[in-house]
Amino acid sequence: MINLAGRDILHGWGKFVFTGVGLGLLIGVTLTMAGVYRGMVDDAKVMIDNAGADLWVVQQDTLGPYAEPSSVRDDVARDLLGRSGIMAAGNVTYLTMQASSLVQTTGQDKEVRVMLVGFEPGKPGEPAYLIAGRPILRSHYEALADIKTGFALGAKVSIRRHEYTVVGLTQRMVSSGGDPMVFIPLKDAQEVQFLKDNDALLNERVRTASNPAFNRPGVPGLLEAVQDSQTTSHFVNTVLVRVTPGADVEEVAGEIRRWKHLQAYTRAQMEEILVARLIATSSKQIFMFLVILAIVSAAIVAFIIYSMTLNKIREIAVLKLVGATNRTISSMILQQALGLGLIGFVVGKLAATFWAPLFPKYVLLLPGDAVLGFFLVMLMCAFASSFAIRAALQVDPANAIGG
Amino acid sequence: MSTPAIQIENLTKRYGEGDTAVDALKGVDMAIWPGEVVGLVGPSGSGKSTLLKSLGAVIAPTSGRMTLGGQVIFNEGWKIDDLRTLRRDRIGFVFQAPYLIPFLDVADNVALLPMLAGVANAPARSRALELLQALDVGHRAKAEVAQLSGGEQQRVSIARALANHPPIILADEPTAPLDSERALTVMRMLKQMAQQYQTAIIVVTHDEKIIPTFKRIYHIRDGRTYEEAGEGRDV
Repeated sequence: MINLAGRDILHGWGKFVFTGVGLGLLIGVTLTMAGVYRGMVDDAKVMIDNAGADLWVVQQDTLGPYAEPSSVRDDVARDLLGRSGIMAAGNVTYLTMQASSLVQTTGQDKEVRVMLVGFEPGKPGEPAYLIAGRPILRSHYEALADIKTGFALGAKVSIRRHEYTVVGLTQRMVSSGGDPMVFIPLKDAQEVQFLKDNDALLNERVRTASNPAFNRPGVPGLLEAVQDSQTTSHFVNTVLVRVTPGADVEEVAGEIRRWKHLQAYTRAQMEEILVARLIATSSKQIFMFLVILAIVSAAIVAFIIYSMTLNKIREIAVLKLVGATNRTISSMILQQALGLGLIGFVVGKLAATFWAPLFPKYVLLLPGDAVLGFFLVMLMCAFASSFAIRAALQVDPANAIGG
Repeated sequence: MSTPAIQIENLTKRYGEGDTAVDALKGVDMAIWPGEVVGLVGPSGSGKSTLLKSLGAVIAPTSGRMTLGGQVIFNEGWKIDDLRTLRRDRIGFVFQAPYLIPFLDVADNVALLPMLAGVANAPARSRALELLQALDVGHRAKAEVAQLSGGEQQRVSIARALANHPPIILADEPTAPLDSERALTVMRMLKQMAQQYQTAIIVVTHDEKIIPTFKRIYHIRDGRTYEEAGEGRDV
């Protein structure tokens, strides 16, 4: 038996292919939206993996350090090391901010939104690997930057009052929002995060000096001690903990919660906080886009197939008159719809693969999503063709005979 | 005399009901024998198309009797369940416009009908080629429909009508869009095919050029037919 759908497609292949390409671009956008969501989830997971920790110890009753502000004393890490089941503990601070670097070629500052991470070299929180350069060796003013920042090795990066030299480069070190990370020594980061600028400090000193509670006559050294405490910070956002091999992570976390009056999250809990809470609204937003795009795509396929069928109404009447079964006619329309979907999917997949790297944030196109997308497109096309099939089956074969 | 290829007796067709009812056919009688080509002539609104649709098992007559090759197919109701198969295997259609399938080549337009009847591709194509050659369009078998002239397209549609060797062909003004020469060529072909395949052909026409070619003509007026001997001029 002749494949009527195939012959019709070959006969008008130009129109068919161009229609498929148009549909494909729409499918490409849909696949990209799914990729944007996957990228967000992956960024969140990568951030957790890169921390290299089994537990996140944060301020009690907070979801910190990524979802809520958390403030923990930096001596907690030392205390934790004394507890059983804990192999390593490192203080870490996180702060999302603008960083700028002078671009030699243009002579202009390049501003990048980054997540600034303060860490203690050799302890949890340090980047697991570098793709270029060396680790931070000096106590101050050296930085490691993710390549997405665009900062080169040796570049001078301005962060608040100081300038840092990029000595190493990392890869896929991003925040859950997709901002690339810049790692600096913990003390520098504490200064950046918790300390005020010089004018504010001066102002604060005057205010403290004028406060009789801190500037008591006959209590020498009190004012200086208070002012000193205002120019140093001993807070961090979290303490990252690695447990000893074989130790029960849940048990260690429970111990920390019970005895230290802190919150301790396991890797699974932190992932749940990031994926289910932090990016939940964004993912719902993207899901809505996906639903709308799917509906628009289905409507377009339905309209195209319906129009193509109406253009063949006389031929369909003749086919019915000369004995073609409803199955033959339905199959022809269904095959054309599926053919259109196939072309659309291939074009869409290629388009998404081509333009995904051009997006500023990470777009993760998973093969599983592509397979699911393929079946959904086919299902959508089959559904869309039902309108055209219904119209074709209602064609009266008598229409082929004049009068 | 042999059994008529198609015979209808007192066939009626009423559209609508009550005061708005219209009797399109008011008791039509016809009998066409195998190998015969008869004309069906009448003005617009006389009931030609209704009769053709009834004969083609596309609409159900209201009453009367119809036999095809001696088998009763209608007697106050259809006596055959599967009208689609009846049309496919036992009735050929030639239309005013050829209505060929534009996305199939010439040979496949003809071969499609046997294929729909379950004939395998190779014998269906071979039958199509045989018919196309008999109708002098064999050399265009691989051509696209749009590349053919009007006369050639009409010959292909005749080949398509003959593809399942039906005992009867209904031709609805097949020469209307053609000039005299091509119209007569089509008539010659129809007569030739009717003889060769012993197919009865009913040609609905207004065409003054071809009316003299019929040996028998049915005039239809106000839903009734009147038989008349034609000139039977050779073409």
